[in-house]
Amino acid sequence: MSEPLPPGMNAHQMADALERFRKVIGGEWVFSGEKVASYHDPYTIPNDPERYRAHAAIAPASTEQVQQIVKIANELRVPLWTVSRGKNFAYGGAAPVLSGSVVLDLSRMNRILEVNEKFGYALVEPGVSYFDLYKHIQEQGLKLWLDVPDPGWGSVVGNALDHGVGYTPYGDHFGMQCGMEVVLADGQVVRTGMGAMPGNNTWQLFKYGFGPYVDGMFSQSNFGIVTKMGIWLMPEPAGYRPYLITFPREEDIEQVVEIVRPLKLNNVIQNAATIRSLVLDAALFTTKSQYYPGAGPIPPSVAKQIMVDQDIGMWNFCGALYGPKPVTDALWSVIRDSFATIPGAKFYFPEDRQHRPDILIHRADTMKGIPKLTEFGFLNWNGGGGHVGFSPVSPTTGQDAIKQFKMVSGRVREHGFDYMGLMAVGFRELHHVTVIVYDQTNAQERQKLNELFGLLVREAAAEGYGEYRTHIHYMDTIAGTYNWNDHALLKMHEAIKDALDPNGVLSPGKSGIWPKHLRQGRKS
Amino acid sequence: MKRIARISILASALVVLTTSSPAADLTGKEVFDHYCSYCHGSSDGAGTMQLRRTRGKDQALLAERTNLSPDYIEYVVRHGLKSMPPFAPADLTDAKLKVLAAFLAKKLPPGD
Repeated sequence: MSEPLPPGMNAHQMADALERFRKVIGGEWVFSGEKVASYHDPYTIPNDPERYRAHAAIAPASTEQVQQIVKIANELRVPLWTVSRGKNFAYGGAAPVLSGSVVLDLSRMNRILEVNEKFGYALVEPGVSYFDLYKHIQEQGLKLWLDVPDPGWGSVVGNALDHGVGYTPYGDHFGMQCGMEVVLADGQVVRTGMGAMPGNNTWQLFKYGFGPYVDGMFSQSNFGIVTKMGIWLMPEPAGYRPYLITFPREEDIEQVVEIVRPLKLNNVIQNAATIRSLVLDAALFTTKSQYYPGAGPIPPSVAKQIMVDQDIGMWNFCGALYGPKPVTDALWSVIRDSFATIPGAKFYFPEDRQHRPDILIHRADTMKGIPKLTEFGFLNWNGGGGHVGFSPVSPTTGQDAIKQFKMVSGRVREHGFDYMGLMAVGFRELHHVTVIVYDQTNAQERQKLNELFGLLVREAAAEGYGEYRTHIHYMDTIAGTYNWNDHALLKMHEAIKDALDPNGVLSPGKSGIWPKHLRQGRKS
Repeated sequence: MKRIARISILASALVVLTTSSPAADLTGKEVFDHYCSYCHGSSDGAGTMQLRRTRGKDQALLAERTNLSPDYIEYVVRHGLKSMPPFAPADLTDAKLKVLAAFLAKKLPPGD
C-alpha cells in the first residue's frame, strides 16, 4: 500500500517537501516508504487501513531545525504531526489523526539540559524518556525522585503535555511542569513564564511570569511545538513505606472512595494512589486462559478463585507513605483505621506479600518513581495485544464512583470484555481509567470495541462525565462532548488555531481542533 | 541515548547530553539492554512471560533463543507483534538494529 497523501497535495509536491526536509536534517533522518510502518498505530481500532497513516516521518535534532521545518511546512502547506517519543500507545502511538501527515518525531532531541538538586527540577527536551532521566539521576547520585507513568519509555515532556499521571505525590505531571520553550507555526521561538525575561534565573521555579499564563495552551493542543520543558522533581524523602489494602466486593468501591476523599484532601493520603480492579492486577502476571477457557468476561466464581490464588481483592488500593518514620507511622494509623471500617479489608506491606511476581512489590517501585514496563503485561490477558483507554473523570464521591463503575463495567461486560479499571486519586477527582484489552488482529472484535467505546462516551456524557484524554480515533467525538453554549470552548480553540497557525500545518485534528480549511462538516 | 559529552557544569548541575548518532556506537548486547531488556531481559518481564506461555519455557528468553534470524528480528522490531509495539528508526536506528539482530541471532545454527 502506497503512503497516503495529505488533502490537496500530490506525490510530486510531497517528494519536493521531503527533499527540502532532507536538506535541513540530513537524509538519514527522513523516513518514507517501508520505514513509515513503525509510525502506524500499533493497536489499531478502525478497520479502514487508510485511516491514521503517515506519509513520512522526520526527526530533527534541535530547536533550530524544528524552526526550519515549520517554515518549509508553512510554505508548502505540509501537515506535521508532532510526537515527543511516539510512545503514547493506548492513544494512537505516533500515528497522526490526518492521514498523509508527516510525523515530526522529536525523539532525537533528547538532551537533559539541567537537573537541579537544590530546587528539585529538570529542564529537558521532548526526546528524553523517563528511563533516560531516571538513569541520569542515579548516575549522578542526586537525591531526587522522578514521578513516572506506567510505561517508562515515554517522554517526560510528552506525557505531561498529554496530562498523564503518575503515582508519587508529584503525580499530576502537567501540574509539575514549569516553563516551556515553544516553536510557533511561523517558526518563532517563545519561552513562557519567567523564561521570557533575559537573564532571569527562575524559569523552572515560578510558573506564571507576568501577564496571561499560556502554558496550558500547548498541552493536548496543536498551537505550537514544545521543544524544552521544566519538570519539578521530588526531593528524596526521609522514609518510604508502600502499602496495599484489598477489598473483597465490587460494591466496596463506594465506601472506599468516600473514605479516600477526606484523607486525600487533608494530605493523609500523600501520593497519587490508585484503586485497581481485580482483573487489571491479575492480568499483569497471568492470562485469562489460565483461569477461564470460555468466551466473554470471566464469571464471578473465577474472579473469586483469582482473588484467592493471587491474594488480591476485587479492588486493590495501592498507596505509599513518604517522610520520617514518626510521620508515616501517624499517617498509617489514620489510613488503617479509616479503611478498617470496610468489612473484609486486608492490609499489607511488601514484607507481607508471599507471591512472586506480586502487585505490591511491583507498584512499590512505581510509587517511588522507578520507571518500568511491567504494566504492559496486562495486554496479554486475552492474547490479542490491543488496548485502548476510556478515561472519564469523576468527583471523589462514592456515589459517582459506583455509578461510573456500574455504567462502564456493565457495558464492557455486555460486549464480551473483562472490566480492567483503575481509579487514580487526584485531589478532588478520580481519573477512572478503564483499559479495554482486545484482539487487534480480529476485525470483528475491533468493530465491537468501536461500538462499545462510542456507547461509553455517549452514556458518560449524558451523565455529565467527560474524558480527560483519548485515542486519536475518538478526539473529535470527545471534543464534541465538551459542547456547552454551542461549542463555545471549541470555537475559542479554533480562533486561537487560526491566529497562531493560519495555514493549519501543526497536528491537524489534535484534540478535535482542525484548521479552517479542514473544519467543514466535522463538528458534531 | 548515549552520553557523549558533558558540555558544561554549573552550580546548578547543568548537564547537556547530546543526541544519538545514526551510527551504531553500541554493541548488540548494549542495544538489547537499553531497548529490550525491560520486557525481554528477565523471567518476569512482560515479553518473557508471554513467550513462555505461547512458545514454551525454552523459547521465553530472547537472548537464549536459537531460532531467531536477523531478518525476523528486524521485521518484528520495525512492525511490532501483537502486544509489542514497533520501534521507530529515529530512536532505534538501522545501525543499532543491525547489531541487535546479530546479537539475538548469534545462536542461530549456521546455514539457517
